[in-house]
Amino acid sequence: MEAGEEKTGSMSAAQLRAEKRRRKLLLNSEDRMNRIVGFAQTEPDHSAAALRSAEPHFHLDLDRSEPWSSPSPRPSPFLSEAPGARSHTATPERRGSPLPDFGQPRRASLEGDVGGLRHRAKAERQSDEAGGSPRRGLHQYLSRFDDAMKLRSQLANEKPAQDGGSDVEEFDPFRVFRLVGSVLLAVFVRVFVCKYLSIFAPFLTLELAYMGLSKYFPKVEKKSKTTVLTAALLLSGIPAEVISRSMDTYRRMGDVFSDLCVYFFTFIISHEILTLFGSETP
Amino acid sequence: MATGCAWFLVLGSVFLCNLMKILLPSISSFLTKMVQKDAEQESEMRTEIQQMKKEQSSISMMDEFARYARLERKINKTTDKLKTHVQSRTAQQAKMKWVVNIIFYILQAALMVSLIWKYYSDPVTVVPSKWIAPVERLVAFPTGVAGGVGITCWLVVCNKVITLGLSAVS
Repeated sequence: MEAGEEKTGSMSAAQLRAEKRRRKLLLNSEDRMNRIVGFAQTEPDHSAAALRSAEPHFHLDLDRSEPWSSPSPRPSPFLSEAPGARSHTATPERRGSPLPDFGQPRRASLEGDVGGLRHRAKAERQSDEAGGSPRRGLHQYLSRFDDAMKLRSQLANEKPAQDGGSDVEEFDPFRVFRLVGSVLLAVFVRVFVCKYLSIFAPFLTLELAYMGLSKYFPKVEKKSKTTVLTAALLLSGIPAEVISRSMDTYRRMGDVFSDLCVYFFTFIISHEILTLFGSETP
Repeated sequence: MATGCAWFLVLGSVFLCNLMKILLPSISSFLTKMVQKDAEQESEMRTEIQQMKKEQSSISMMDEFARYARLERKINKTTDKLKTHVQSRTAQQAKMKWVVNIIFYILQAALMVSLIWKYYSDPVTVVPSKWIAPVERLVAFPTGVAGGVGITCWLVVCNKVITLGLSAVS
């Protein structure tokens, strides 16, 4: 009888000790979990939900107040949850995570996988700061990393095309019209006009005329190539709209420069030919 | 006369350089074919593999398994040999292309430097200075001759025009 009472007392003492140990362990359990698993997810993150589902789920019950007196088996922290069997005693961070069906294959794209992996790697390294700006900075960094990966694959796809035809000029009807107009004007200026004024004055007039005539020609949509420069500008935070407008302006300046070169070249050649014929005629 | 031909000499040099640049891939592949002596071996191996595959397709695997397996091993062996051969040929081609490109760019740079050195102080052609006002100084750079067309300006203009012309033709 007395042995039974001693046994009961020792069990309660043991239970008390166990309870004390448990409470001590449960102190800062949130921090410990964040350090082990990752950063604390306060907002639902559906993109990483598929990845999170494969991770071990920890059944730390922060809300449970009664001691563990019942001989129910303690859930192993390394058991993943069965589909649909979401525990109500799950940690607050895990409550919002949807669990996928194990029968479905994971539909994570390459970028999503990399993004998720970086997400976790970054989270493991990051200290547990409960701040909005560090998390925002992390998301910004990861989104830029995803953009960099996409641009890299785009550049890799466009590189064979560029290797095959580097510096290939595209000749649309308006471009051909401009070049032919420049040639004709140069010959005309050499023959009739150059004695009276500078040769660049008619050229400037011609360019102004082209600006007005451009709307009467069919507009050819030029595919913007993703080069290393545009990729670097995109990643540095410059909006794509600004880059495309700048590239468009640069293209127009290139067209004007081409017209000027053709005009000047034709002028000099016609001058030399006329000089040659002028010197040869008696 | 020498001065009269200067613009033509520069124009011809730039045209030649641009033409060679377009023909570089053909030149490197031609040189590769000349250097490689065992190109026939590759076609022989391909023919052999085709013949063996044809023979294998006529054999029933159930009835003549040993012969089928022997053929399969032969095909695999020849295929591996062919892959090694193709890899070495591709590597040699890439090396040749790289060498040809390097030589070309060195020659082109030497030609341009020599032209600039020769016509540094002499204009390639001279026109009345009022014709090219107000940019006569820029056009005449680095000669400083009033109304002259400097080597740099003429090189840039020729290069642009010839690039346009050759891309229109090709």
